[in-house]
Amino acid sequence: MKGRAELEALRAALGARAVRAHTPIEVDGVALGVTVAPADADSLSAALQALSQRRLAAVVRGGGTRLGFGNPPRRADVLLSTERLTGIDVLDAEDGVAQVWAGTPVAALREATRARGWELALDPPGEGSTLGGTLASAATGPRSLGFGPPRDSVLGLSVVLASGTRTRCGGRVVKNVTGYDLAKLYTGSFGTLGVISRAWLRLRPRPERELVLRAPARGLAKTLERGVAWARRPGVRALAIVDAELAARVDPGSRGAEEGLVLIELAGDAPVVERDAERLARELRAEATSERALERVREVQGSTPRPSGMRVRVSALASRLAAALEPLARVGAQLLVYPGQGLVYGFVPLASANDAAAARAALRESARAGDGTGCIEDAPSWAKHGDDVFGASGPELALMRSIKRRFDPEGVLNPGRFAGGL
Amino acid sequence: MHAGTAGLVDALRAAVGRDACLCRPEELFVYECDGLTMHTGRPAAVVLPSDTAAVQRAVRTCRDFGVPFVPRGAGTGLSGGALAPDGGVVIECSRMNRVLELDPANRIAVVQPGVVNADLSKAAAPHGLYYAPDPSSQQACTIGGNVAENSGGPHTLKYGTTTNHVLALELVLPDGERARLGTRAGPAAGYDLVGAVVGSEGTLGIVTEVTVRLEALPEHVETLLLIFRDVVSACRTVGDVIRSGLTPSALEIVDQRTVAAIEDSVYAAGLPRDAGAVLIVELDGPALALGPQVERIREMARSRGATRVDVARDDAERARFWRARKGAFGAMGRLAPDLYVHDAVVPRTRLPEVLEAVCAIGDRYGLKLSNVFHAGDGNLHPNISFDRRDPDELERVVAAGEEILRVCVEAGGVITGEHGIGTEKRDYMGLLFDDADLDAMRRLRDAFNPDGACNPGKIIPTPRFCAESNPKARGYERVPFE
Repeated sequence: MKGRAELEALRAALGARAVRAHTPIEVDGVALGVTVAPADADSLSAALQALSQRRLAAVVRGGGTRLGFGNPPRRADVLLSTERLTGIDVLDAEDGVAQVWAGTPVAALREATRARGWELALDPPGEGSTLGGTLASAATGPRSLGFGPPRDSVLGLSVVLASGTRTRCGGRVVKNVTGYDLAKLYTGSFGTLGVISRAWLRLRPRPERELVLRAPARGLAKTLERGVAWARRPGVRALAIVDAELAARVDPGSRGAEEGLVLIELAGDAPVVERDAERLARELRAEATSERALERVREVQGSTPRPSGMRVRVSALASRLAAALEPLARVGAQLLVYPGQGLVYGFVPLASANDAAAARAALRESARAGDGTGCIEDAPSWAKHGDDVFGASGPELALMRSIKRRFDPEGVLNPGRFAGGL
Repeated sequence: MHAGTAGLVDALRAAVGRDACLCRPEELFVYECDGLTMHTGRPAAVVLPSDTAAVQRAVRTCRDFGVPFVPRGAGTGLSGGALAPDGGVVIECSRMNRVLELDPANRIAVVQPGVVNADLSKAAAPHGLYYAPDPSSQQACTIGGNVAENSGGPHTLKYGTTTNHVLALELVLPDGERARLGTRAGPAAGYDLVGAVVGSEGTLGIVTEVTVRLEALPEHVETLLLIFRDVVSACRTVGDVIRSGLTPSALEIVDQRTVAAIEDSVYAAGLPRDAGAVLIVELDGPALALGPQVERIREMARSRGATRVDVARDDAERARFWRARKGAFGAMGRLAPDLYVHDAVVPRTRLPEVLEAVCAIGDRYGLKLSNVFHAGDGNLHPNISFDRRDPDELERVVAAGEEILRVCVEAGGVITGEHGIGTEKRDYMGLLFDDADLDAMRRLRDAFNPDGACNPGKIIPTPRFCAESNPKARGYERVPFE
């Protein structure tokens, strides 16, 4: 924030309750001491209008669980929080759809949908994750194997553009090609094109039976092939492989995890779940464990080594997963793999700038080996070192810039934070 | 920029080859419309490029002459999306019809846009894989067209539409440059441009290569044919199934009027002619699960008064059941020279009352209206048989179509579920979206296609026509372009 006068001007425009000064929160080296928290869509619209008129830039914030994910802001004056935009407007248990405000915590929404016999097909890591943040960052967890990516849950969005203009796209029905599919563009755009205020979601039927199993891994690389094969079976909702060190965190006191651990969640009709559990017992020596183990996988996925470390994510072809693991293993990364989604998470402790440089090089090498992409999900600013945390962008970046310029010409929304400095 | 279009055909011939350029009136005649016969346009030429470079040369030639261009697949679209403006150039991708790569280990196929939908599944079958989206026109329609329209089909209920199956695209942009969007390992860094291009109706560029995800053939399939006294009972059964937590791969309803037409045609499937409605339910998955699921559905149908519940005993019987669904459009050809296949979506729970309202509208306008639809998605297809040479009837078809859309929107629905907006529904976008919503869409289009040369006049209404909301007022023979 440029000064006291700006703060007072925002307060005058938006009301004292909507503008809060606080101990600065650091976002990639920029300290932000003011949070704008609109109470409804009109107020969000007024806030963005006020910011864009004053040429102030905002870092958009949901639950704050992924504020470390991004390039250093080119400009940032305030945090714009969706914390007061909460509530479930519609939960239609006949039709399996819901309309929900962006600031609603995912955990609360999950409980509400389960209570009505449906399943929310989102499982982002991070306690306090909000719906809006999950959609904006396209955050996924272990269950994305069965759930699909967040974009598959989105039927329609209400989005306030940088100018304060309120817009809608999509609808409430499960099939729709009415106009451009802007919801795809907003989902995963890290708040750089507009601020999601409300969403229509498609819910999934709750399975009759859910069961989490654990099995010993015989080294990560050797287990991958069977992991891919099992992950492709219908009824497997999550499948994670972790190395020995992470196994101790995921399933404390577990035996036979000296070379890693496989966690599998089955979900579906009871007879099929039971049959598959028996098969897994035979083929992988799998045994039942608690759902808590899967929650711990999600926690591990969203964690970063302390006191200082880097969390990276590589998206690789199934056939290249083993090759993608190697470079990360060489720099001492702890590893979590979702073979069905082709995702590798590496957790690298950092003691020096040299460690960070080695980790960044390993990430690039891993993405190349996996014939896919890689990004740094979390790291201290010094460890990012000016590399694009989303990885190198290709020539299509010109198209993306052209889109950004048209949606946010003043650069109000998260300028510089997204891929290629969008 | 050339002074006129005099040398256009010669330049196009030079760009793509003499044998790949059509310009005689009798050659162009078939390109005056797509599956929506009510709208027509007269292109100056049609080019049939064989590779991406030829598409680029064709686009650049069009730009040199300042003429608009329109990508086209098999022309089976039902909303005028492949309709060329008078004097424009159609770039048809039918000669780019090779499956470039099948990668069973990663369950991926890379195809050219002209590959026919059903041929892709045939190519993948030896690996135990298939391509899930299955539009009713799948024997003819192409993957490129499917990408443009984000096509669905009966099995999208469980497997999603085209957008859920496309990993990456190669695109010739409206300026002739080539772009690669997405990766075969998943989304590329940055905005989800693949998601933005799928369903953009060929207005953001010309798709020249598509990387799709393949699915494993299901372990087991069960198909039920349920007969009801009336369509409302069939719709209520669909609601019961959705609410029960079952996810069939397809839930399709054929109404009484369609049953009669089918049984009169070569597609006759042995349906009772007095059936009020037929509901086809298909389930797939492990055999162990399907037995009990079939019984649950049988129970639900009985409690809604189903008069007959047949379960297919073998593939031949399954094919016969599906003939009752898939032959519907062909059977309509007996009723009148033209068929208007309407498309709208409502919340699934609203199907019974919306369907009654739709039939009442057809009756009020004295039209032959019948319904065949994807009930599980709430995706209605009111079909109106008519003769476009009768101006009075054509006017009634258009008016009834608009009323149907209004009913669907009032019920919380949308104006198209899988056919697209094209020219057909462009001027009805205002029923759902306000100026700010449409302006956001325009921003996306302008980022790819700033001067609108690529497939002009589609999707977004021009302010001029927004104001002129009554489509009858401007006639239907010639569609104006921006």
